[in-house]
Amino acid sequence: MAPSSGLCPKVITANYYESQDLASKFTGVPHQSELGSSSQDEVKGKHHQVCLPEADSALSPEEAAVEEVGHPAKMTCLEGPHSNQGPDKSCGPMAPEEELVSASQLEEEEENEEEEEDLDPDLAPDLEEGVDEEEEDLGDPAILSAVTNTQRGLPSSPGIKASGVLGMSPASLHFLWQTLDYLSPVPFRPTRPGTSSPVRHFGPRLLPPDPYVFCSPPTSWSPRFSLPSHLTQLHPQHQRILQLQQHSQTPRPPAKKPWSRQSDAYANLMTRKEKDWVIKVQMVQLQSEKPCLDDYYYQKYYQKLEKKEADEELLGQRSKVESLKLVTPYIQKAEAYESVVRFEGSLGQVAISTCFSPRRAIDAVPHGTPEPEIGAASSQRLRVLSWIEKMFLQLLEIEEGKKNGPPQSCYSEQQRNQVEKLFQALKTQEQNNLEEAADGFLQVLSVRKGKALVARLLPFLPRDLAVSLLLAIIHHLPLLVKRDAADQVLQMLFKPLGKYISHLTFHELLQGLQGLMLLPPGSSERPVTVVLQNQFGISLLYALLSHGAKLVSLDPSLEEPSSDHTAWTDIVILIAWEIAQMPTASLAEPLTFPSNLLPLFCRHVDKQLVQQLEATMQ
Amino acid sequence: MNYMPGTASLIEDIDKKHLVLLRDGRTLIGFLRSIDQFANLELHQTVERIHVGKKSGDTPRGIFVVRGENVVLLGEIDLEKESDTPLQQVSIKEILEQRVEQQTKLENEKLKVQALKDQGLSIPRADTLFFFFFFFNIFY
Repeated sequence: MAPSSGLCPKVITANYYESQDLASKFTGVPHQSELGSSSQDEVKGKHHQVCLPEADSALSPEEAAVEEVGHPAKMTCLEGPHSNQGPDKSCGPMAPEEELVSASQLEEEEENEEEEEDLDPDLAPDLEEGVDEEEEDLGDPAILSAVTNTQRGLPSSPGIKASGVLGMSPASLHFLWQTLDYLSPVPFRPTRPGTSSPVRHFGPRLLPPDPYVFCSPPTSWSPRFSLPSHLTQLHPQHQRILQLQQHSQTPRPPAKKPWSRQSDAYANLMTRKEKDWVIKVQMVQLQSEKPCLDDYYYQKYYQKLEKKEADEELLGQRSKVESLKLVTPYIQKAEAYESVVRFEGSLGQVAISTCFSPRRAIDAVPHGTPEPEIGAASSQRLRVLSWIEKMFLQLLEIEEGKKNGPPQSCYSEQQRNQVEKLFQALKTQEQNNLEEAADGFLQVLSVRKGKALVARLLPFLPRDLAVSLLLAIIHHLPLLVKRDAADQVLQMLFKPLGKYISHLTFHELLQGLQGLMLLPPGSSERPVTVVLQNQFGISLLYALLSHGAKLVSLDPSLEEPSSDHTAWTDIVILIAWEIAQMPTASLAEPLTFPSNLLPLFCRHVDKQLVQQLEATMQ
Repeated sequence: MNYMPGTASLIEDIDKKHLVLLRDGRTLIGFLRSIDQFANLELHQTVERIHVGKKSGDTPRGIFVVRGENVVLLGEIDLEKESDTPLQQVSIKEILEQRVEQQTKLENEKLKVQALKDQGLSIPRADTLFFFFFFFNIFY
């Protein structure tokens, strides 16, 4: 057996070192190597069988694939070594392994060579003849415990996630990990002379049919491994692996895994193929044409996760760790088929059962019978809500179009049409009367979602439409404020509206504000007071006043005495008076405080009032 | 999670010990060997655990195939912590006796509540109501 002189990729060498180290400690390591090549024939006599643990069911396909790449020695030639030991021994406990074996595949010959050459020379000098029989029995628990160790160890291994790339180094890393994993539970081996006979009982003990096993703790195992010193003989890396695997505060001897040994006799009843099949079926159910819509939350979550990881990587906080993403299969939607067949002149429908509609015998979908009008308030509310939902869908389409399309501020013709349509829908709500239309708009705004809808629609609207919305809102401000008392979400409208305030002409502004000043019949309180008590209201008011002041200062013609000007001054004085009147506590905190308000008040109002205003407003 | 990241799947739970609660109230403990797309389960070396108050008793049942729709929930059992249960293990005979006792007690409660209701007094008690419906399902 040629020594591993020719191969020195770094990892393999390291592995060589490791196994050499281990080999010195653990004589008679039971392992089964890949004996595919002819050069191994001479080794057969020594039964150097490296059992590289089969990927357990818990592993992902990528890991398994990597493993298969990295550990081709999956006991495919178990028959070889078995033949030396006789078939009877290989039957019972080996049966599951053979299943394991048959399930795996040889991937790369080169890896075979490397691994064998690595391990065999290490362990060749250490094996004795008597190991043979032991190995059969020992092989089992060793393998099984190795399997469980991989089961446990792998989730904590850092290199796993990068194993999407089936390159050499991840494979080698895996191999290294696997071997170390595998070899780590072996520590009790040195006591072989003492444990040889009880160890032999492992074989039959593997298949106890009784359920008592999981009721009682593994007391039966403890006498076998009563030597605590085995832990100290571990290679430091093995110790680390062990600690990782244990996941518990109290250290316990690693041999206490009776359930694993026992169940692994029945393990992989569900083969890899079957698991893949189940997963395939589940994936088929997940397929969709537009995952961004259908699976919105997961896609957004994954984007956030990726961004976070990229940031962390950028900051150097941790090495690149790729988290896996669920990739749903993309399948062209099957074109619609007719599940109901009608013959000409027949009075009925032929029942065709397909996989999508096994029992669909008649067309059970109702055709356009309009719902009878119910005058109840709840139905009205429901109607408003459903209307908002429909508009929201349109809005989402518009937003989607903006997101997907080229980032430009001028919208395509189609988008503009959509926006127009939506606006019309919003304003009119299929009502002919203007009053009712305004009322409808108000109802939309009374609902939290409606406010969100308007807030999100405003950036898309052309100037004049947006201004009309703004005016409508100003006009109905007291009502909105009253209705918003429960939700307090009018604030979301402030930012988009604020942009359009600056587009208002002086005249429009006056009109809007005058509406607020009018004393409603039967009440001594002006609408302004209510507005001032609400955060959104007061912010909007301040913004309007500030805009008015700006307009006046910019356009000297407005300074001249005119009806507009007097109206403006009246409004300002009135508002100032109202603010001063109001107790400071009930005055809401505005979202923004424009700087030209106080000077505005100074100009039109006497000093005393201004001082009062200063006090209240700050 | 490794097979299908971002989803919940039973694939990773295979060959592990699980506790399965069924819709009819039974608690099964066994090794999950096989699943399918409907979450039908195949449990191996199953034990049915009956618990009454602080005591519990196990009946070995062998292999179970459970139709997926009958599962309320299932969870993996940590074998290290399995023995930390606060329940006291008793023999099956005893636990069955205890259960019969419990059931008769609840039935009497039910009758009492019924009698009160007939007389026009309804005293809703959350716990009895739950058991009432629970056992109602069992028996009818």
